[in-house]
Amino acid sequence: MSELSDKNLQGIPMKPYDLIREALMVLGGILIVVLFLAAFWGFPGRNYWPLTIKEVATKAPVAFLKRTISYFDGTSGLQTYGPPYTHDNENAQHIGPVCPACWAGVVFPLNAKEDLVMQPLKQIAQLDPSIAKALATYQEAGSKQQMAWDTAYTTALDKAQVKNGHVILPVGNYGPVPILMNGMLKFARAGLLEAALTYNTNPKLAPYETDYTRALLYLGGNIMNTVATHFHEQGYQWGMTHMAGPWPGAWWLWSYSFWYQIPLANSPSADLINFLIFVGILLLGITVPFNPLLRRIPYLIPVYRVIWRDWYARYPNGDPSRPAKKSRER
Amino acid sequence: MNISKFMQDIIKKNMTLEDLLPTQMPVYVNSFAYFFGTMTISSIAVIFATGVVLSIFGPDWWHFTAIGAFVNAMHFWSVEVFYLSVMLHMTFKFFKAAWRDGRERTWMNGWIIFAVSIFSGITGTLLQGNWDSQWNSQQGKDAFNAMGLGWLGWLNYTTVLTLHIVFFAAIVLILIMAHITFVRSESPVRPIVEEDEKYIEKAE
Repeated sequence: MSELSDKNLQGIPMKPYDLIREALMVLGGILIVVLFLAAFWGFPGRNYWPLTIKEVATKAPVAFLKRTISYFDGTSGLQTYGPPYTHDNENAQHIGPVCPACWAGVVFPLNAKEDLVMQPLKQIAQLDPSIAKALATYQEAGSKQQMAWDTAYTTALDKAQVKNGHVILPVGNYGPVPILMNGMLKFARAGLLEAALTYNTNPKLAPYETDYTRALLYLGGNIMNTVATHFHEQGYQWGMTHMAGPWPGAWWLWSYSFWYQIPLANSPSADLINFLIFVGILLLGITVPFNPLLRRIPYLIPVYRVIWRDWYARYPNGDPSRPAKKSRER
Repeated sequence: MNISKFMQDIIKKNMTLEDLLPTQMPVYVNSFAYFFGTMTISSIAVIFATGVVLSIFGPDWWHFTAIGAFVNAMHFWSVEVFYLSVMLHMTFKFFKAAWRDGRERTWMNGWIIFAVSIFSGITGTLLQGNWDSQWNSQQGKDAFNAMGLGWLGWLNYTTVLTLHIVFFAAIVLILIMAHITFVRSESPVRPIVEEDEKYIEKAE
């Protein structure tokens, strides 16, 4: 044995053992358990497909249009998110001067109006002259006029009605905005928006682009929050510790999710605070051997006497040089 | 200096064949509490085996074929079994005060494996290609961005796949090999010796 083992096992009685045999037996047992679970329960997330933009545009057109116009008029939270998407450092999560997101900087620059709406609109304009005309009208108008149309349209969406899939707005002066937004709606309903967003990320890489940032961000906010609330997956609902439906998920992350259940979670920097607490918990675990309080717990709660009960039956104080008076060597 | 001879001496000193493939164990290794370490390693073996198959065939296979869905389910449940095993393993190692007699590095190494496995698990969730991965990528990006880790590209499927099946998998594998080497080189920790029937920490 190694020098360390020789030293550590001095005076300890040994028994025959077969490591490979035991390992194969346990592996076999685990394999049977996993096969059983997979056969009877399958993959819990199999019936919960991604939320597609097409699905939202078809089933909840007003929600889709509200999201789209928010990018178009620049009022979405994504436009002022801060690093890594925008330069709004004041919106980045921080604790005093500690702002890791600011230090990392804008590594994925995103202009939501241009990248999420204008680029697809320009592509739609190539297919539909009415969109091209509306787009030209909009771009030729002054910024004040554009803002007036955008604001009027956004307000009108609250009173919009959907009939046979058509979004009907109250009478008002929205300029070319409804035509543009309906163009986006049709494009989304055709199932083409995710592909366009991904393609536009880097057209030179078209068939190989796998950066789905734009497509995944598009439905963020109220739309995804509504679905997540339905599945009890919001942070305040223990979020990622479970999956959609009545299934276990990453239950081992309870020590992270826990911090979202207390008022601390209302802080605008909740993610940073909770993540740092979680890192702190991990560091606490790593350093137990050096922690004068935590390392004494096993001695105060002597579970070890249960674990090694056979040993303590033979050697009452654990010292093999002091066997129990009535004990016999096996 | 003969490097080969130097390495031979290190291996002879720290890891003999009897350590690597032991044929005897201390008699105190006779408890259910020793089961969970082997259970953890076994579940990791199933995770790796099923993960390799999944990564070869891809999302369409694991979602839309019967055999693919089954392997996907095995991968998922082996992760659940892994975390159950590792929690029990860590709990019993804690109550054994298993860091005694110079085993601090083994304890720390084990916790680091656990920490890395959490990131590995998160990237796995993001790869599922379902609502949960979509929602977790939406939510998780905020936490990672807040920590200054946004540059890793959590919404880029290739990046996440590489992190999951190469980067984190390799780190976990290397750390596990180190963990097993430490454990075998050190031998299983001895039962606690109580002085005068009082629970006094003898170590340190």
